[in-house]
Amino acid sequence: MNFRQALTHGFWRDLPPFRLVLGLCPSLAVTATAENGLGMGVAVTFVLIFSNMFISMLRKVIPDKVRIASYIVLIATLVVLVELVMKAFFFPLSQQLGIYIPLIVVNCIILGRAEAFASRNPVAISMADGLSVGLGFTMSLTLVGSLREILGAGTWFAMPVFGEGYEPFGFMVKAPGAFLCLGVLLGLMNAWSRKRGEIFIQT
Amino acid sequence: MREILRLVVVLGLICSLSAAALAYVREALAPRIEQQSDFYVRGPALERLFERPADELLANKVVIESDGLSYPVFFTRENGEVTGIAVEAPGHGGYAGDIVIMIGVDLPRERLLGVEIVAHGETPGVGARVETPSFRRQWTGMTVAAPAALRTDGGSVDAITGATYSSRAMIDGTNQVLDLVRGRKAEILELIAAAGDDRPAEGA
Repeated sequence: MNFRQALTHGFWRDLPPFRLVLGLCPSLAVTATAENGLGMGVAVTFVLIFSNMFISMLRKVIPDKVRIASYIVLIATLVVLVELVMKAFFFPLSQQLGIYIPLIVVNCIILGRAEAFASRNPVAISMADGLSVGLGFTMSLTLVGSLREILGAGTWFAMPVFGEGYEPFGFMVKAPGAFLCLGVLLGLMNAWSRKRGEIFIQT
Repeated sequence: MREILRLVVVLGLICSLSAAALAYVREALAPRIEQQSDFYVRGPALERLFERPADELLANKVVIESDGLSYPVFFTRENGEVTGIAVEAPGHGGYAGDIVIMIGVDLPRERLLGVEIVAHGETPGVGARVETPSFRRQWTGMTVAAPAALRTDGGSVDAITGATYSSRAMIDGTNQVLDLVRGRKAEILELIAAAGDDRPAEGA
């Protein structure tokens, strides 16, 4: 993968969570509103960029046998950092996301990129990869959150979208709505890819 | 041998550097986080307990030490008399650590005004249901004289189904507060009197 590919592959070819089908827990759990989706996406992007950076920097130092443990320590450190910063500067958002912020530690996208990419590539390209996958994740989560919020609550980023007469489709902001929304989007993406003859993971 | 040593040293170094970095950031951000949680959590909680504006109440704060823990105590006055206090306590034994609660006490009547949750890490949909008003309502009107307990332990509080740990942690926190109010009320009032010297009594 060259630098340009690393910088763009997260937007469509490996778009999380749809293409990687990793990181589904936050994608389902915190996307009841567009703002929560965006907040979670930005937090994950930050962690991804810097976990890729540190892991790539240390890739020749960390012994193979303890690599997963080392990655998890590095990732957990960054996540707690994000949690503290969020509490200090975006307190209401941190309350909304609650337990799902510490759970970024076990988000498979981050460990996946560390293991599959950052542990065998130089620092700059690893950071580009983290940025790309992170932004892809942010876009996806914001999209899922927007769809659910618009349909389920009639608002977008807490701004009313429809007139007074709109009866919210409450199902969408509940847990089953998340599965439905994610499934439909995944299906549409696959149908589109098939039509274009692209190779993708879910055959 | 050399290899094992390398594993230990590398992982040990990564862990200690991470811990140091986090300790530093936590220390640096602590005042700001405290201020945010005053504004978004403690303030509204005090408003609900005492039915007064938060900025009037947040400054009314003393701290009492007990068993090596420090308990923040907020208070409200009427005609110079301390009528209500709200004590914050960490309820031990939650499913994900302490559940920090704040208990409002109506001093003249020796009854609880209610309970508010300041911080918790319980599972959404299970333990986090301790936040629901229908569960917390059980605290309102509780007497200071007797210790609180779950109904299964012979008390008056119905636990949340599937969240006994979280419910017990709330009871634990409540009893810490009740013990303080029962045993050291005079001391708390002295602290409040000492703190209030340079401030005009409200409503007077």
